[in-house]
Amino acid sequence: MKAVGARLPRYDGIEHVTGRTTYVDDVRVPGTLWAKALRSPLHSATITSFDASKAEALPGVHAVITHADVPLLEYGHLSALGIPADEPLLAKDEVRYKGQPIAVVAAEDEETAMAAVQAIAVEYEERTPLFDIRKAFDGDAPKVHQWGNWYPHFEGEMDRRQIRKGSVEDAFDKADTIVQGVYRPAAIEHVPLETQVALVVPEASGRLTIYSCTQALYFSMGVVAAHLQVPLNKLKVVGGTVGGGFGGKVDTASETMCALLAQKSGRPVKWRWTREEEFLCSSTRAPWHMEIADAVTKDGWILGRKMLTLHDSGAYARFSPYGLTKHSFHHTGAYTIPNLDFDGYVVFTNRVPTTAMRGFGVTSVSFATETHMSRIADVLGLDPYEVRLKNANRIGDTSPNRIVYTDPSTVSVVKALAGGMDVELQPDYAAMTRDPREGDLLPEHLVSQIANPEDH
Amino acid sequence: MNLTVNGTTQGVESGPLATLLDVLREELGVTSPKAGCEQGGCGACTVLVDGEPQRACLTPVGTLEGASVTTVEGLGAPESLSPLQQAFTHHYAAQCGFCTSGMMLAADAYLKRGGTDDREAIQEALAGHVCRCTGYVKIIDAVAAVARGDSFDMTVTAPSPGMTNLGGVS
Amino acid sequence: MTQATEVLFPTSADEAVAQFGDGSGVTVVGGGTIVMPEITYGRLAPTKALVLSHAGLDTLGVSGTTVTLGAGLPVERLAALAQDVKALAECALNVADYEIRRQATVGGNLCAGEGQDAPRGDLQGPLLALDAQARSVGADGESTEPLEDFLGRRAGRLLLDVTFEKPAASAFAAIDYPHTHEYTVLAVTGVRTTGGETRLAATGLAGFGMRLRSAEAAASDPEAAGAAAVGDVSLGDDALASAWYRKRTLPVLVRRVLSELEEAA
Repeated sequence: MKAVGARLPRYDGIEHVTGRTTYVDDVRVPGTLWAKALRSPLHSATITSFDASKAEALPGVHAVITHADVPLLEYGHLSALGIPADEPLLAKDEVRYKGQPIAVVAAEDEETAMAAVQAIAVEYEERTPLFDIRKAFDGDAPKVHQWGNWYPHFEGEMDRRQIRKGSVEDAFDKADTIVQGVYRPAAIEHVPLETQVALVVPEASGRLTIYSCTQALYFSMGVVAAHLQVPLNKLKVVGGTVGGGFGGKVDTASETMCALLAQKSGRPVKWRWTREEEFLCSSTRAPWHMEIADAVTKDGWILGRKMLTLHDSGAYARFSPYGLTKHSFHHTGAYTIPNLDFDGYVVFTNRVPTTAMRGFGVTSVSFATETHMSRIADVLGLDPYEVRLKNANRIGDTSPNRIVYTDPSTVSVVKALAGGMDVELQPDYAAMTRDPREGDLLPEHLVSQIANPEDH
Repeated sequence: MNLTVNGTTQGVESGPLATLLDVLREELGVTSPKAGCEQGGCGACTVLVDGEPQRACLTPVGTLEGASVTTVEGLGAPESLSPLQQAFTHHYAAQCGFCTSGMMLAADAYLKRGGTDDREAIQEALAGHVCRCTGYVKIIDAVAAVARGDSFDMTVTAPSPGMTNLGGVS
Repeated sequence: MTQATEVLFPTSADEAVAQFGDGSGVTVVGGGTIVMPEITYGRLAPTKALVLSHAGLDTLGVSGTTVTLGAGLPVERLAALAQDVKALAECALNVADYEIRRQATVGGNLCAGEGQDAPRGDLQGPLLALDAQARSVGADGESTEPLEDFLGRRAGRLLLDVTFEKPAASAFAAIDYPHTHEYTVLAVTGVRTTGGETRLAATGLAGFGMRLRSAEAAASDPEAAGAAAVGDVSLGDDALASAWYRKRTLPVLVRRVLSELEEAA
């Protein structure tokens, strides 16, 4: 291996500093039309009337698309992973989040496109929106989604991600103290410097050339092909340098919208989101609500964890069931807890649908777990490094989903942190390694998980 | 009206209230300044107007009769990179590269008005430029390096200071 | 991009005044930092734009103790007053970043309408505390009036300049929303005139900047002044902060400014 450890210059470094990197918005195709979207101004409403005729008649407007123009209106981005389709590309009878696209127009220039959007006549009947995931379970909560207020299609048609290991009841019985905490990280915007953008060129052959800012080119190709109901070989997708994505350019739908407009108008169509659209209408990292109750001994062992997670998926499922699944596997963080009772729900609200962002699903529970470890140390009056080192994953420990650890790094990382913070660890803690547990580091409650990992 | 861009004077057809950003990108085909927000909030559109950094998205082109505009293409070409361009490459100051054009022009102006390698002063000069990828440290490293007069080995990137001092890593 | 029927570039103050006329249907563009995004986003479609970039209004005049700021003066140039009018220079240098400050004008900062999502017009604070006189033209001709009065009727007026007397001391305290370039959540300016009078003004309120007259009356007791200040203003929730937060921090800023003025004695 010659590259690992070497400090190689970026292959596109010189393009970046000379202004020669080509992003989607830099591609120039003669005759390109500008797209703009009509977006729902309301959080939740039925659409009672819709008339785009004035927009279509405006000079310079070449096409307007609505749900009626989409061959397959609903396509599940992750249907291959068992998550059924639930979201229309363009709203049909109702809108479920403020900013939801209802129609997209293609016109000679940006100003005409904006005027065309203004000229579309829509009437709505407002409904009470739901924003608080905790209230989604109330009997009188507004009904957000056709499946109810939380996702019901986990394997076996379960309505939650569930993990059970050992006996949390026993752990709570044996505990000296129960330490509780509630953790509620807020939504986070990706804010890539490059806003979402797509350019689609209809070729004479009938194929479409798609320039997209997607982070997931083949994935997006499949999404476009599915909505348009065309074989993959009808599409040529040109990826390239993405001006920052961070997970927010995986669920893009702008390629599909531009493809439909390109087909309908016979002209290349570009749609570049404004920064306001990025902030108001693009998918975000999800807000979460996590409740943790740990059964602990007074010398800092964590015997068991009972945890409830509510994940705010926004108005549609997108990747949320997948994110929650990852979250559930990581809900003990870098630490070994043998008795577990975890329930996680993907909850629907009338917010912009949430999506992946760096560490999708896991950053939330890492934040909660680490804060909780410090809380445990605080409640017990123990050193926070020592509590972590004791419970740290070691070779032979098992994860929440029964994976036996062969290469855990918790011990070395915690020790490195102590070093970096100029904290001197007590000698027996400083001497700890990730070797399989034995002696004082193998208390009774951890014995059976080592012996029978498949039962634990 | 006429506009001089990177030394070449050309006629501009767009109306006087068209933004310099739109004129550069759409009419003149100079695409290095970027439409990051079109509100002056991000700095991705910054160009030099008579040597001073200015947001192209906020500038009516009609105010620029007789002015000289410089974009990052005007700093240097691949075969003849300016010290700042070399520094940004060597110090890994660009990841996605979208903020780079504006960032470099603001830095260029800072250095030309006598800016030193003082990190706070560099930060203040670049305060209007958002970067979502790099965390800014290497951008400041690059500008400081140019201020110091460093020379740059373009075949390798600079080591990251402070990353190997955590004790006890096994 | 705009389809403005008419874009005018007056090359003198007189020409600007003549072209402004009674102001009806005129959109004034100072530096463009506030108006251009509104045009880009389709919220403003001027039929007649008066662009002041070359009107010669970018003057900073000092005559003895009297300072006159042209409406077209870039905000960055107020740094020159750091010795004589500390609070004004500090306030100016706290606005956005170097590039925005070089393009934004004193006039734009004073005349821009209330921001939708965040307060505007940082300079209103120091200039109100300085009891600046605003000279403007409009439908009823030219007038010079206290800035406080001008702010209440600035629509339809073309601001030409503001004038004030150098103070004996001044102080500025602000709460900024952290960003690469900061947005001012709330700010208080205090001025002690050469005659010994204390004036206080605040920005970041619901509406434009205001004098804190009850606080001024209690200026000898910073605690009391801080508490009184809340009654002088109307506070709102916006993208930067809540009214609740501003209500709690306004007295703190008032006390800080009064302490600083005390120390400068």
